[in-house]
Amino acid sequence: MSMVRFDQVAKRYSGGKEALAGVSFELERGEMAFLTGHSGAGKSTLLKLMMLMERPSRGQIFVDGQNLNRLTPSQIPYHRRKIGVVFQNHQLLFDRTVYDNVALPLLIAGYNHMDCARRVRAALDSVGLLGLEGRKPVELSGGEQQRVGIARAVVNKPALLLADEPTGNLDPDLSEEIMDLFMRFQQVGVTVLIATHDISLIESMNKRRLILEHGMILEDRHVF
Amino acid sequence: MSSNRRNDPRAQVGASLAERPAETRSRPESGPGALQQHIGFKDKLVAGFLHHQMVAVETLLQLLAHPASSLMTWLVIAIAVTLPGALWMSVSNVEQLSGSIRESGRITLYLNDTASNEQGRQLAATLERLETIDEVIFISHEQALENFRRTSGMADALDLLPGNPLPVTLVVQPASSLDATSIRSLSERLREYPDVAAAQLDMAWLERLRAWLVLVQRMVWVLGGLLALAILLVVGNTIRLAIAARVDEIRVSKLVGATNAWVRRPFLYTGLWYGLVGGLMAWLMLIVLWLLLKQPAADLASRYGSGFELAALEPAAAMVLLIGSMLLGWAGAWWSVSHHLDEIEP
Ligand SMILES: Nc1ncnc2c1ncn2[C@@H]1O[C@H](COP(=O)(O)OP(=O)(O)OP(=O)(O)O)[C@@H](O)[C@H]1O
Ligand SMILES: [Mg+2]
Repeated sequence: MSMVRFDQVAKRYSGGKEALAGVSFELERGEMAFLTGHSGAGKSTLLKLMMLMERPSRGQIFVDGQNLNRLTPSQIPYHRRKIGVVFQNHQLLFDRTVYDNVALPLLIAGYNHMDCARRVRAALDSVGLLGLEGRKPVELSGGEQQRVGIARAVVNKPALLLADEPTGNLDPDLSEEIMDLFMRFQQVGVTVLIATHDISLIESMNKRRLILEHGMILEDRHVF
Repeated sequence: MSSNRRNDPRAQVGASLAERPAETRSRPESGPGALQQHIGFKDKLVAGFLHHQMVAVETLLQLLAHPASSLMTWLVIAIAVTLPGALWMSVSNVEQLSGSIRESGRITLYLNDTASNEQGRQLAATLERLETIDEVIFISHEQALENFRRTSGMADALDLLPGNPLPVTLVVQPASSLDATSIRSLSERLREYPDVAAAQLDMAWLERLRAWLVLVQRMVWVLGGLLALAILLVVGNTIRLAIAARVDEIRVSKLVGATNAWVRRPFLYTGLWYGLVGGLMAWLMLIVLWLLLKQPAADLASRYGSGFELAALEPAAAMVLLIGSMLLGWAGAWWSVSHHLDEIEP
């Protein structure tokens, strides 16, 4: 059973704009893929559909074997706990410490304090930020902030990791560092899907590429 | 320290990854489907309880961390609770006071024209032995005439009459333990006595007071209802602002899997704290009010020859105010949360 399956998925926003027009693809467990395409091609929309931030107008999406169309609103939070997400504008809480930011998903899932502390340390360690628990995000560089966002996304050990422009604001060196981090998560078995503009960055990475254009998959370049 | 890491990020990340706990590294072996964390029902229950506890403490600390703005809301609630509380206190005091006014329940018995002074005296003695009656004042034909002469100012007209038209009169003071309905039924029974022509119950004054009390009590309820609405609106609005200030946090929480109940919880506790602390402050205000009025009220009463003492709000009533204000705080928060929170989606 694949981790993610899109089956003729279309999304038309209420404004009448068709962001996706019949997209089908599968992501195997432990696979890593990039989602590219011009601005407005529908990359963010595709990720939002997986998080149930939007509902598809047509077609079916399966995540971890679960048909998302069948999920009721009260089941959505539990679905979201299975997925780690990283956004370009990292969505950190700036009045909280790094620790509190990373611990948030665990707190929500009901972990006790000891487990929580252990997992937060492990997550911060895995992004190379151990020791910064007590800092506020404003006291960190852009790259460090992005890594805090990644730590939060992986702290719950999700099976699926989604990232929308995770390197958008970062210089090339930092971007490479972040991508490297994602590769390492794939190496420990996480399925990773990253939407990005940055063709030059992923060119060298030898990973599968899904190219969106005007809401359709123009090219699905597998790497073997 | 962080600049170090920046200089050699790859090495750092690699090194730390190598040290990742075994559970993380072993994930690929655990196979498909085993990736999702499963937490037992009991653990969830305990975690839920702990979260309630944590949120309760955190929201209180949060309120105490901004004393100026919290105090405003608390004072508004306290005043809104104190007003009906003070009225309630006054009403129950006046009620108590009215019970202690003896003259108000007097029954005047007019005997038949044919009844003699002697018969009247006998009846008075009989009645005085009844337990429901404290005292009977006997007024003879002659005394009645004399009283009438003095009070009516129609002495000359009376002289024109052939005989004495005024009956023997008995003024009955019911036992102080009797309430208004018992006094009324006593008066009914006295009317049945053979020599009694008419019984007149002098309760008008008391009844007027009772009518006032009913009116004021009704006013307490109306006022209480309006002020309860005010508390709802004040807490609702305060919570609305709190929600607006934390939109980002709510979005992020929902994005990482927070349920609506989880997101709601801190706001509901905040409402509860507003109500509870506001109610406690109101209680304090009512006690201060009582302390301030106690002495003047006793002075006033002593001038009327009464030993009346202003009673404080009974603990049960204070409890009602406290719990009521707590529930109102919670309801205000709930009302606001159900309007504004569920709309915030990531
Ligand atoms: N909430 C919305 N309501 C209406 N239209 C929307 C909404 N979100 C996105 N769109 C439209 O859908 C199309 C796809 O948007 P989307 O954000 O998925 O593109 P994208 O590939 O992520 O672009 P970018 O690279 O600029 O982030 C765009 O034309 C956009 O205008
Ligand atoms: Mg986008």
